[in-house]
Amino acid sequence: MDINVAIVGYRMQSAPDLVTSRERLVFELTRGLFDDLGIERTDVDTTILDSNDFMDGRTISNVFIDPPAGVYMRDESKVEMDAANAVIYACMRILTGQYDTAMVVGIALTGSQASPYLYIEYTLNPTYERQVKLLNEVNAAAFQARSYIDRFGYSERLLDDIAALSLANAALNPNQARRISGITADKVAASAMYYEPLRELHCYPPTDGGCALLLASERKAKELTDKPVWIKGMGMSTETYYLGERKLYQSSSAAEAAQRAYELAGVKKPAQEIDVAEISALFAHQEPLLAEAMGLMGEGKAEQAYAAGETAIGGKLPINPSGGALGAHPVSVTGLMRVAEAARQLRGEAGDNQVKKAELAVVHGQDGVCAQQNAVLVLGI
Amino acid sequence: MRNVGIVGIGYTPVFVSKRKDVNISEMISEAVEAAFSNTGLGPKDIDAVVFGNMHTFEGVNLPHLWAADYIASLGKPLMRIATGGTTGMSAFHAGYYHIASGLHDVVMVVTYEKQSEGDSQVGLMGIITPEVMAMIAAGIDVTGGSGMGAIGGGSAGGISFQASSYLHHSGAGIEHIDEQAALERRNAAKNPYAHLKDPDATAEKVAQTPLVSWPIRFGHICPTSDGATVAILASEKAAARITEKAAWVHAVANCASDATTANLIESQITDPAEHLPAIIASRQAYERAGIADPKKEIDYVEIYNGFAHQALMYLEKIGMCEVGEAHKLQEAGELEMSGRMPVNASGGVVSTNAIGTSAMNRVTECALQILGQAGEHQVEKDVHKAVAHGWGGMMQYVTITVLGDKPKKD
Amino acid sequence: MGAPEETYFTPVVPMDFTYNYRVGPYITRYLDGFKDKKILGSRCPGCGLVAVPPRKYCGVCNKVMEEMVEVGQEGTLENFTVGHVTIEKGRLAPAEAPYVLGLVKLEEATSALLARVGGIAPSEVRTGMKVKAVWKDEAAGDYDDLDHFEPV
Repeated sequence: MDINVAIVGYRMQSAPDLVTSRERLVFELTRGLFDDLGIERTDVDTTILDSNDFMDGRTISNVFIDPPAGVYMRDESKVEMDAANAVIYACMRILTGQYDTAMVVGIALTGSQASPYLYIEYTLNPTYERQVKLLNEVNAAAFQARSYIDRFGYSERLLDDIAALSLANAALNPNQARRISGITADKVAASAMYYEPLRELHCYPPTDGGCALLLASERKAKELTDKPVWIKGMGMSTETYYLGERKLYQSSSAAEAAQRAYELAGVKKPAQEIDVAEISALFAHQEPLLAEAMGLMGEGKAEQAYAAGETAIGGKLPINPSGGALGAHPVSVTGLMRVAEAARQLRGEAGDNQVKKAELAVVHGQDGVCAQQNAVLVLGI
Repeated sequence: MRNVGIVGIGYTPVFVSKRKDVNISEMISEAVEAAFSNTGLGPKDIDAVVFGNMHTFEGVNLPHLWAADYIASLGKPLMRIATGGTTGMSAFHAGYYHIASGLHDVVMVVTYEKQSEGDSQVGLMGIITPEVMAMIAAGIDVTGGSGMGAIGGGSAGGISFQASSYLHHSGAGIEHIDEQAALERRNAAKNPYAHLKDPDATAEKVAQTPLVSWPIRFGHICPTSDGATVAILASEKAAARITEKAAWVHAVANCASDATTANLIESQITDPAEHLPAIIASRQAYERAGIADPKKEIDYVEIYNGFAHQALMYLEKIGMCEVGEAHKLQEAGELEMSGRMPVNASGGVVSTNAIGTSAMNRVTECALQILGQAGEHQVEKDVHKAVAHGWGGMMQYVTITVLGDKPKKD
Repeated sequence: MGAPEETYFTPVVPMDFTYNYRVGPYITRYLDGFKDKKILGSRCPGCGLVAVPPRKYCGVCNKVMEEMVEVGQEGTLENFTVGHVTIEKGRLAPAEAPYVLGLVKLEEATSALLARVGGIAPSEVRTGMKVKAVWKDEAAGDYDDLDHFEPV
């Protein structure tokens, strides 16, 4: 089926600590978006909010961000998972023909939390993992990293190279929170060891951030912008919760999600057809791991690809030219920021992060320990 | 827009105070098993799963991740929706949009709450954490009288403002709230999936329960329940393969207001019984469903009434009768299962409240009435069209679903 | 578009959240097994998966696992990490000393069990090592009874 829904505008912000309130952040993002497009809140037919109550520290966290998002006596619902999924839901709503415009807003003040990792601890089975107190998101990722590099016989240096590339891109991007000047693989390798083989700079930084997008039907999109970014494909999938039963060196759910998105978009050879990828890799090794699952990189070819600069901004298939989630990870917003960053590329607005040819992009968001759930979108101009 | 029908429903075998015998995921799986066994469908028939609950109540974040293996979702899209008390219906709406969009054909919606595992009142107070913190910082004792007054004393406290305003505007008395609670507990006695059942409930008996905060008595208030509900939705084409008779979605709508309409914080400038979102969402739903006069065209109503007066109040808000008329219909016996406008034959939320399921059960109960599968609590009149209502958030969020016995014609 | 500096709270919320997590019949039997220093799993009637700890559903087959089986006390270290930090109550902090966590595939089990690995210097740990369960002297039917695994 043809989707014919476009992204017509975006706003995003992130910082280690935005020193702001949730309400002010939402207001600035959405008011900014309305101003960019010359519209008012009443021009938004439906809104999908995305925040996590545990991260927000409030039960039913959408209640208080409705008004600053302009949702007063209007339609709204909330997706509570990575906001790439909220884009998919908003798109579904437009596809019914019932709405012409749909806004997606995601916020998370993860960086300014006193305990940024508590959110993921509370996702664990309360009758087992939470009582045994051994598993957390970072050590699970360390197992995944070990499994991945052992599988293909890579050296741990690969992790440093991946992180250095992402962080160098992030340093160029005003939307990112972790911007380190003069980053090198050696500096990554000198950062604090967390869980072997993962060091601090291989891991996402807990970050404050938010992002707002406006989607529109084909008719409305042409009214609102002369640079629409079309949603061409979408897919989601889920795998088992049980870490000890997964092949950690691969991501079956990312592969299934991508397959669904490519099928809708008519993409047959992603590695050849896709111009740019924005992947929610929360840890350095997840970038090639997920890129393989999404058909963007050959299995076992990661060392070669990074050594040859294939994924760099000027490379054959740039991955995370924005700097990705190693530059900012406001929980649940990260996938939405990937969508916005891809739109930024496709509209030629990416400044120092701009890749040369950007006509077809793939974006990705994830939830759960070791990316138990994945969402993939294909965007194009 | 594509038509979407409800082709299967599954409940946990019981809705009770404490399911001590199973953990959260095990309990949820019982409703999935029931939906599969009721329809003869299996995991291979399901294209996507939507999941909803109010997770701060049990203190399990994103519980769909742990439950994934128990709800036939592996290898499938799985979307989590959360909008507070309305979550069940918001999840149902998401399932509807999955199919109406043309992207999927058969979608399973899974909702649950296991309230015995957490503290619901503390969970609810979490809505206003920053406000409570500001009060503590200002030296106000939030557990004492003045603090509780300012924050409305939790859900029941806040609701009492709404109930007293409703009584004032409608001309109804506290005895009508007593009778509504009694009526629904009597209905609940005929519903195997209801929690608080009393075949002999009377207004007089309810009136003897302690006053919590005038005019709300203990007997007007919902229980906290453990239970799960699953609905399987299908496109017209897929439904024809699965069942001979489905309950069809004619419209969905919802509306959010702002938190001050709860009349609890920031100011007391609005009337908590005004509930404009209910009026806006229901009008929008009727318009989408092609219903000109809901009073005449709708045969059955399920209202989300955590508190007994809300059945009466929302009947007026959603246009099923005039303002000040609901309690008169009650006096005339029209709201009973044998009446002309039966309401909450299921026993309503006031009898059963596993929160994540509560707004979903309003829809599934309407569907059972349309399908003629409500068993002992089947109403006497034929049900061709029904409306389901949910409220949540900070008393500022309303969801509406209109169902019919035939697919909607464009 | 920077926000002006303003008053904000960083509260540690003094609300008392109490949870009572029912473990269900599978974990109950698992912990009962611990009293006798036995490790139990559940077997899927579809694919034959033996999951440790046991649980009701095999998600892949969507089948109820009714059969309980005792698995071996020895197994293979499939994967490990050396922790240099701890994450407790959502906060990451340096660990007092490096420690080893492993994914152990027990004999007769299909799933790998996350456990502490001791009795060996962290730098000596290798994947593929044979390890065995080390129990607390007095098993009380708690998760803590199974203290760690050490090289055979």
